[in-house]
Amino acid sequence: MKGIKPHLKHVVAFFFIIGLSISGLAESPVTHLQEFTVISRRPIKEIGIEKTYFDSLALKENIALSMADILAYNSSVYVKNYGRATLSTVAFRGTSPSHTQVTWNGMRINSPMLGMTDFSSIPAYFIDQAALFHGTSSINETGGGLGGLVKLATIPDAPPGFHLQYVQGIGSFKTFDEFLRFSFKNKHIVTSTRFVYSSSPNDYPYINHDKKENIYDDQHNIIGQYYPKERNRSGAFKDLQFLQEFYYTTRRGDRLGLNIWLIDSNRELPMLTTDYGDERDFENRQRENTLRAIASWNHSRDSWSLILKGGYVFTWMAYDYKKEITEGIWSDLTRSRSHVNTIYGNAEFNYNIQNKWLFTTNVTAHQQFVKSSDKNVILQQGDKAIIGYDKARLELSLAGSVKWQPVYNLGFGLVLREEIYGDKATPLIPALFTDWLALNSAWRDKPYSLSFKASISKNYRYPGLNDLYFLPGGNPNLKSEHGLTYDAGLSFHIDISKNIFFNVSGNWFDSRIKDWIIWLPTTKGFFSPRNVKTVHAYGVETNAEAGIDFGKNWLLGLNGSFSWTPSINRSEKMSPADQSVGKQLPYVPEYSSSITARLSWNSWTFLYKWCYYSQRFTMSSNDFTFTGHLPEYFMSNISIEKNLYFKPVDIQLKLAVNNLFNEDYLSVLSRPMPGINFEFFIGFTPKFLNGRKK
Amino acid sequence: MKWDYSEGLTDFDNPSSGLFIICEGNFQYSNATLSFYNPENNSINNEIFFRTNGMKLGDVAQSMVIFDNKGWIVVNNSHVVFAIDIDTYKEKGRIENLTSPRYIHFVSENKGYVTQIWDNRIYIVDPKSYSITGSIEVPGMSPSSGSTEQMVQIGQYVYCNCWSYQNRIIKIDTETDQIVDEIFVGIQPNSLVVDKYQRLWTITDGGYDGSPYGYEAPALYCLSSEDLSIQNVFKFKLGDSPSEIQINGDKDKIYWINDDIWSMDVDAFALPAFPVIPHNDTKYYGLTIDPLNNEIYVADAIDHSQAGMIYRYTPDGVMIDNFYVGVTPGAFCWKY
Repeated sequence: MKGIKPHLKHVVAFFFIIGLSISGLAESPVTHLQEFTVISRRPIKEIGIEKTYFDSLALKENIALSMADILAYNSSVYVKNYGRATLSTVAFRGTSPSHTQVTWNGMRINSPMLGMTDFSSIPAYFIDQAALFHGTSSINETGGGLGGLVKLATIPDAPPGFHLQYVQGIGSFKTFDEFLRFSFKNKHIVTSTRFVYSSSPNDYPYINHDKKENIYDDQHNIIGQYYPKERNRSGAFKDLQFLQEFYYTTRRGDRLGLNIWLIDSNRELPMLTTDYGDERDFENRQRENTLRAIASWNHSRDSWSLILKGGYVFTWMAYDYKKEITEGIWSDLTRSRSHVNTIYGNAEFNYNIQNKWLFTTNVTAHQQFVKSSDKNVILQQGDKAIIGYDKARLELSLAGSVKWQPVYNLGFGLVLREEIYGDKATPLIPALFTDWLALNSAWRDKPYSLSFKASISKNYRYPGLNDLYFLPGGNPNLKSEHGLTYDAGLSFHIDISKNIFFNVSGNWFDSRIKDWIIWLPTTKGFFSPRNVKTVHAYGVETNAEAGIDFGKNWLLGLNGSFSWTPSINRSEKMSPADQSVGKQLPYVPEYSSSITARLSWNSWTFLYKWCYYSQRFTMSSNDFTFTGHLPEYFMSNISIEKNLYFKPVDIQLKLAVNNLFNEDYLSVLSRPMPGINFEFFIGFTPKFLNGRKK
Repeated sequence: MKWDYSEGLTDFDNPSSGLFIICEGNFQYSNATLSFYNPENNSINNEIFFRTNGMKLGDVAQSMVIFDNKGWIVVNNSHVVFAIDIDTYKEKGRIENLTSPRYIHFVSENKGYVTQIWDNRIYIVDPKSYSITGSIEVPGMSPSSGSTEQMVQIGQYVYCNCWSYQNRIIKIDTETDQIVDEIFVGIQPNSLVVDKYQRLWTITDGGYDGSPYGYEAPALYCLSSEDLSIQNVFKFKLGDSPSEIQINGDKDKIYWINDDIWSMDVDAFALPAFPVIPHNDTKYYGLTIDPLNNEIYVADAIDHSQAGMIYRYTPDGVMIDNFYVGVTPGAFCWKY
């Protein structure tokens, strides 16, 4: 979805038609067709920014998808997936998941303990706008995104009047998904309530290539072996999520907003393919209760705007790994509890002078209170104690930026950011941007444009609380990781005819990250983090998209991306025998690609999605051992959708087929992924609340 | 996805003596491997379990012993002990559904003990039927804080060090499967050997800074096996991390890792001033001594995510050979 050029009216129209999916508040496509008139000038705030934007089409293409699924099939980032409805992390450009910053309506939602975000627990149904800010571009929004930023947001909008939508999904592995949205909008008020409930035993079958079942004779001699067909063990989940939004717009145009997001998640963690334990004797479960709330005030005038936000996050996370050693008595192999309280505040002031200058100041504060506890131990004196830490830390991010557009086709930007954490501060984070609309003309009545952009930055990411304080192993002497990044890109757009458009863009990046933090085992039997690695990540990210209007309501939308992302260890040798220097980092594919094709005709929509990851090494030395690499894989999903329009109610029907070719694949060693699977959705959008306007 | 597995299994038949190297792999990655090194011709075969059996060894291979011509490999986070033929490496059987096994020791043809972490029981197993037949509950531990480690046997008694958040050596009567004695030493004794005088030697790691269990200078303990009395204590510096105590074939010299490789006569009265093998930016993680010629084998785990290196030295610390094995080589088992 990178780089949509919205200055073409019919391009926008294409996507509104194609994108009326089951998950949107879908009605007749004709009545909802909208056209935007957007001038070709880029927003001054986005000068030089390398951004991948996900519109509602991508976000709502399948109501049951998580943001991890959306990112995997629609962008060049690497999604490391530990299984269905299991931890999914996102990494840009060969960096680590903790180098990806994630914000929701402006508030950072990375775990303050681990630094990373689990995208499998973010339903796309709750996100109205998403964008990736690659590398340097993230500094416009936040610090610490050595790889980039995933910016998630809801929008203060809804169809006029009352609206209700209910969708039921029934899928393979006894998967049941329920979606409910109620919204109301009038001149001053917008309110929206969304529920999601998903559950499944998640016991998908797979051939276990990592173990063999033995066939014994009477003397217990092995007389045969075979790869067993097993089911995903201990993979059940029940996730309930609730999102309430309320917006009030004053007569003078100020907007007050309140967003509340609740998560109640109970997930088993699947057993490894090499686990010979009896699943009835083991329990491996993660539970999470999270509240995220943001209150906001947007005050905009002709030449300036002020945005104030306050928020609060509470997360209780429990991880239990235990075995029943005798009936009713369990031994805790791991019993981890964490309580995170975060108070958030943000103030942003923008001042625009004749659309030539834009001055922005931004102050963001996250006050973290984290209590982490692990196992109970019996002390030498016989007392009991809990191992863990209880820390508070204030994290401040202060930013100022100037954007200058001396002429309509040329812009420059400078961002300076300072990050303060606890009693320490990173050095000043500078970022420079430029973009140039080199061509904006027409050839034989075919409008086209060619633009160039570039940026450079020095960025810092300070250690997470677990890095510093986790017991045992936390290292309070860790330094901030830091990277120097260059970006340069070209994008080209042409309207081949009134009914065909084509976009292509390419971006080169080069990033050198130093003091990379890695957790390494110690001789005392636990892991401890150290600043040890220097990484050179570079490569190319490309994207192409096209839209064709065949007439008679036949529309085709195509989008593809391809990335080449070498991420090379340039550290000093850790030991004379170290073979990792000059090698690709583990679990970073050098090549990745995705394609989406969307064909629609009247109220029918067919969607084909494809993604590819090249082989990933699991060893830092890039050895081709049996366990040293994961082979490449291709994945294909399809869906077909039909909207039915009746007087009292609209009905949406959809069948989604995942892993179409029943590929037997792994994203992470010993974490099997499901084969072909299906889910059928039926959605109801009653019209009675809206006075049966249709 | 193109699977590499089971394409051309290798039929080994290797009756020669040598050294098994047990490579832990990475926790949760199931990439533990087994290697075999022949010191006669300096040859190394890696991933022999996989290449022979067409399946993975599992997640975190912890230790191995040879008993009844079978190699018994304890795979901690796979909750299993595999038995393999020591010449062909083919699986002979497996003991499944253990809690978190660490070491196995056989006391008779029909009985073995399996120590565990996060379980206060030592499992009793039958090597004939590959089954769990009972357990020994260790007093003074809750199930969740349980930790029993390495075992050595003198006569009818098995001695075992209790490591994680523990500070004890326990004594088990193999005839009754009862714990009959114990001695408290320093914090977290991590390894255990027996010398020529039938004395026990253990080394503690001292815990870590901030541990509620305590943090102290590590120490080397010499204990009487008869009454478990402390014969001698040699203190290290606070912050040192000694581990992997080993003993030579004559049982008159002990070795350990403390960044460098150190050795000391069992009759010595003080810790040595200089190591036998200084570290050279190496990350020594495993250690063994050839029981026949006292050659020293040291495992360098490097960054714990690539093939580790084994260095082979003469008893005087002169390098003879080096070779790569699997990820995180941590334990050895001699085949003689």
